[in-house]
Amino acid sequence: MYLEIITPEKKLFAGEIELVKLPGTGGSFEVLMNHAATISTLMAGKIKVKEFNGKLSYFDIQGGVVEVVNNSIIILVDTAGLV
Amino acid sequence: MVSAAKLRKAQDAIIQIRPYAEKLHEILINLVAQNGSSDFENKYADHPEVKRILIVAITSNRGLCGGFNANVVKMIEELINSVYAPFRQKGVIDILAIGKKGADGLKSKNIAVSGTIHQLYDKLQYSSAEEIAQGLMDAYSRGEYDRIDLVYNQFKNAAIQKLTVEQFLPVKLEGTKHSESSVHKYINNYIFEPNVHDIMSTVIPRSLKIQFYKAILDSVASEHGARMTAMHKATDNASELVRELNLQYNKARQSAITGEILEIVSGANALKSS
Repeated sequence: MYLEIITPEKKLFAGEIELVKLPGTGGSFEVLMNHAATISTLMAGKIKVKEFNGKLSYFDIQGGVVEVVNNSIIILVDTAGLV
Repeated sequence: MVSAAKLRKAQDAIIQIRPYAEKLHEILINLVAQNGSSDFENKYADHPEVKRILIVAITSNRGLCGGFNANVVKMIEELINSVYAPFRQKGVIDILAIGKKGADGLKSKNIAVSGTIHQLYDKLQYSSAEEIAQGLMDAYSRGEYDRIDLVYNQFKNAAIQKLTVEQFLPVKLEGTKHSESSVHKYINNYIFEPNVHDIMSTVIPRSLKIQFYKAILDSVASEHGARMTAMHKATDNASELVRELNLQYNKARQSAITGEILEIVSGANALKSS
């Protein structure tokens, strides 16, 4: 599935991934293949991304919105840094 | 060609923000499409009566960019003397100037400027624009203003800027309703987490801040475009002047030489005949 992490200033991440873990407002959750269509707000915390080659990346965010639909995930965040 | 480099940078910034703005708008459309905007309460919705208006004039800190700043000033003058004339008589219009040139221009037309923010352009980034937008939104939700408009130059391309008056607050959700076809495209049975209202109350402020930031970016790119055009015209004008002056000089030189030759020839002729 395809993941994009976008801030108003730049695109932080774009690519095929195996798993993403998100700090949802209603609690932390993970998104895997064939996840149901979801729109959720995110609170401050860490996003964990696992790519197919097993590479892990973490992003610190201050809140945002995520949309999951048809195995494409788009995360809109205000400010974020690669950790 | 410094402005050309700056223009490129500003253009890149606009291109960067586009996917973010579009996606956010799409999410908003989805939310409104599934829930309707009318029953949704938000603190940025219409106030029942418009008592106080704020106009935000987005201009630049530097001049020498043709009509770029003058157009904004002119538009505000026109606005407060036509549509908002009754409000002006009551003295309930405030103007916030972002950019020194706008503030100066308005003052020279005897239009009171109630606040200025000039330092925004020194190091333009989302967080500083966001702060200002948040300030405006807070003022609106506290009831200090019942309508906030942005006046700025929208960036079309390097040569064309479109002067725009845009309603910032109250928030316009109806605009998203019109695009029925796009709504159908996006209807999915979404799971909303934690719930629609909470999402709306974070998405709406976010989209407002993006709208504001985009206006600033548009204005910055337009400024550089306008300056480039103005400088180009100045160069053209100067070379035309040089060409004309050169012609004049050559003509003067020629007639002087002709005069001298005539003198010598006639002198020689006089000697010969005598």
